[in-house]
Amino acid sequence: MVNELTTILVLLPFVSAVLIYLIRVGAIRSLIVLVTGSALIVCSLLLIPYAPFTWSPHTLLGVPLHGVVQVADFALLLIILYFGYKHRNLVIQLLSVLQIITMVYLEFFVVKGPISTDIFYCDNLSLIMVLVASIVGSLICFQAIPYMKNHEHHLHLEKSKQPQFFFVMILFLGAMNGVVLANDMTFFYFFFELTTLCSFLLIGHDATEIATKNAVRALWMNSLGGAAFAIAIVFIYYDLGHLDMQQVIRTGPVAGLYVLPVALLVFSAFTKSAQFPFQSWLLGAMVAPTPVSALLHSSTMVKVGVYFVLRLAPAIQLSFLSQTLAVFGAFSFLAAAALAIGQSNGKKVLAYSTISNLGLIFACAGINTPEAITAGILLIMFHAVVKALLFLCVGTIEQNIDSRDIEDMRGVYAKMPVTALITVMGVIMMIMPPFGVLLSKWMAIEAAARNIYAIIMIGLGGALTVMYWARWAGTLMSDPFAGRFKAETQPVLTWFVLLGLCVGGGVMSVAIPWLYVLLVVPALGGAYVPPFTVREGILESSFGSFPVVPLCIVAAIGFLVSIWAVRRAAKARIVSPYLSGAQTSEVGTFRGPMNQPVKAWARNYYLNSIFGEERLTTWVNLGAGVLLTLMMGGVL
Amino acid sequence: MNDYLLVAAGVLAGPVIGGLVSGADRIITARVQARVGPPLFQPFYDVAKLLGKEAVVVNVWQAFCAYAYLAASVLAVVLFFLQSDLLLIFFTQAVGALFLVGGALTSTSPFSQIGAHRELLQILTYEPLLVFVIIGIYLETHSFKISDILRWPEPLLLKLPFLFVVLGYALTIKLRKSPFDLSTCHHAHQELVKGLLTDYSGPFLALVEIAHWFDVVFLLCLCALFWATNWVGMAILLVVTYLLEIVIDNVTARMTWRWMLGYVWAMGLTLSLVNLIWLYAAR
Repeated sequence: MVNELTTILVLLPFVSAVLIYLIRVGAIRSLIVLVTGSALIVCSLLLIPYAPFTWSPHTLLGVPLHGVVQVADFALLLIILYFGYKHRNLVIQLLSVLQIITMVYLEFFVVKGPISTDIFYCDNLSLIMVLVASIVGSLICFQAIPYMKNHEHHLHLEKSKQPQFFFVMILFLGAMNGVVLANDMTFFYFFFELTTLCSFLLIGHDATEIATKNAVRALWMNSLGGAAFAIAIVFIYYDLGHLDMQQVIRTGPVAGLYVLPVALLVFSAFTKSAQFPFQSWLLGAMVAPTPVSALLHSSTMVKVGVYFVLRLAPAIQLSFLSQTLAVFGAFSFLAAAALAIGQSNGKKVLAYSTISNLGLIFACAGINTPEAITAGILLIMFHAVVKALLFLCVGTIEQNIDSRDIEDMRGVYAKMPVTALITVMGVIMMIMPPFGVLLSKWMAIEAAARNIYAIIMIGLGGALTVMYWARWAGTLMSDPFAGRFKAETQPVLTWFVLLGLCVGGGVMSVAIPWLYVLLVVPALGGAYVPPFTVREGILESSFGSFPVVPLCIVAAIGFLVSIWAVRRAAKARIVSPYLSGAQTSEVGTFRGPMNQPVKAWARNYYLNSIFGEERLTTWVNLGAGVLLTLMMGGVL
Repeated sequence: MNDYLLVAAGVLAGPVIGGLVSGADRIITARVQARVGPPLFQPFYDVAKLLGKEAVVVNVWQAFCAYAYLAASVLAVVLFFLQSDLLLIFFTQAVGALFLVGGALTSTSPFSQIGAHRELLQILTYEPLLVFVIIGIYLETHSFKISDILRWPEPLLLKLPFLFVVLGYALTIKLRKSPFDLSTCHHAHQELVKGLLTDYSGPFLALVEIAHWFDVVFLLCLCALFWATNWVGMAILLVVTYLLEIVIDNVTARMTWRWMLGYVWAMGLTLSLVNLIWLYAAR
């Protein structure tokens, strides 16, 4: 059963992707996407009781599997090299040639005998990632069906590019499942590079000048990570004589030489998760259609970096690498939150927030206590759901108002009340208890309390985070008219996905005690003692407690009472906002000079003189560069 | 059973203590300014009068925000009385603060909007300070749970003097005292009219006022943790602290948010760092 499920999770998307590419009929394409997505959701859920397991298929349809991946790997690198030539980017060319040489050297000159005992390994950490990729990923692909139809309608394309688009999106789901299930590091590397290529193709999908430019930037930065990874595994093979990830982690840093490749692996994770100073590729990636941002650039692909470092964490416990990782992650959390304040572009706020949260997960991995690792794992889950929701909401709003600027979303509630309310709910789930993201942050802060550098930066970053989210939610609701509520019309799939993610995020938050016991505790493996006890829905550690279920009940009551208040207020007298008594009959204007109506307005504070990109980016990159040098230099 | 009593105590403490503190504050402030001032129960009369007024809103979601603010503030105090996790209580009261801002943002009046943004800046200023205070308490007592903190044998003030000053900054901002009463203040003669609260009116303004009383109680409870070993010490600490707040309110003028952010973060961070490093070194 396990073998079949794993095969479906990794291979089905590849098959479906090819079908989508070949059969260029809209209805059939939608059907394939829906069927593939549903199959992935079901299979990932069925996989839950089987973890942990290992699986080493040696052949694929009679051909040796290792050979297939080897060939595919070189083909992949050659494709990247081709794009390097096509876009005349020397860095991509050099990096892909370097990777080809490294892999040729590794595969044909160094490796003797089998590389690893187990090709695939699935413990609960992988399982959580599979669930995120398969469930959230599929839902995003569902929403992409109506979205892309609208998108192309808007662009007035003569020939639909949807076959290519869905080909890559669905293929990516397979690559994502592959990368988190792979235990053989050459397999991991192949899928890792495949996600890089998917990301490149999707960012450049609209083929505008800026899209191509940003796609190329994403490719070279991620290739840098790929090259670091390739070099690291050569070192590891020299040291240990195998590339079995589980055994590598269990061995731990025995020799001084071994720490360098681990640091290189962490470095490649930083590029994948767009940490400073590599954040620019993720910000540039926001030119892609919104489902792409939701799928690759917030909920799944960028999580590969943090997933991988969380997996490595037991091997680097108490090391200098771990300590600098904690500081680096906390710095990233703070810096990205500060930069988000200066942004009025909604998608860029989401991008910075993603970098910020990924930074916090890195910090958790670096703090490396059981509480911190638990916080990191929970944050991966909840951030994926809520951020995917927020991206899709922004995409939906953008298609209606033709702008992604927060200022233009002022009073969107009047136009599309349901979407606005779902977005506000998403924001609430990002910053307020009893929801999962905040619970993870609570856990992270309590875990980080003993690390003075990390805690100072996390404390400041948390406050900055609250500011940019609250501002946005309020802006959506900023509307002088009141009392009427008429739901807007949206495609069924859009409603299904938005409501599904929103309700899903809420239900998961209530279910945290059970999620913790069933999914997270086994994910901690033998390396960490489970830090919390669960009693009557209360999470309790030796120094803190979070009454999840009681708090959810109280919050639900408070919510219902407040909703009741809204319904009653709808019957109250509704007046126009205060304008010093000079307001005219038209809402929002006052009697100005010569008795002419003047529109009263106020913009949000973006504090560009303090938090503007032009002002901060250089310094932040410099700071991150110093920390990165410290981290890499410290291991030599 | 004991828990139910504590919940009831928490729910009652807000309006009773919060209202009385507010009344006393007004009398003392008046005396400092050579006025007689209102009766002690004036805040209760004010709120009762507001509650009896006609409900008027500019946006129905204002009602939601007022109720949610009150709910979160009550919950924070109740959780405190139940001796729950201090960091969690901090996050709970933050929910209330954000709903207050949200309600102001639903109005399009520039007074409300700018008031709301200034309030967000105030939240931005004091939030990290409160986190550092809580971290300091944890480093000393090895727990975030108030039940454990109360069992600590010696007054925290002795080990966390600088963090108490830091708490003082946060307290001044939260109590809407000069020089930090940027978003709204007790007097309606500022440049933003009533700022953040401009478009709250009638019963909803009353709810906001009651919720603010709960916030005051929460902050006083937090101060009380610094001398939790005996009642006399606790009472002296609270009275002295609050009197100091009134003095500061009366001798300072309102400043700008730039100054607030720069000054409070610089002072707060330095003092927190000094105290936290001291605690790390002592471990």
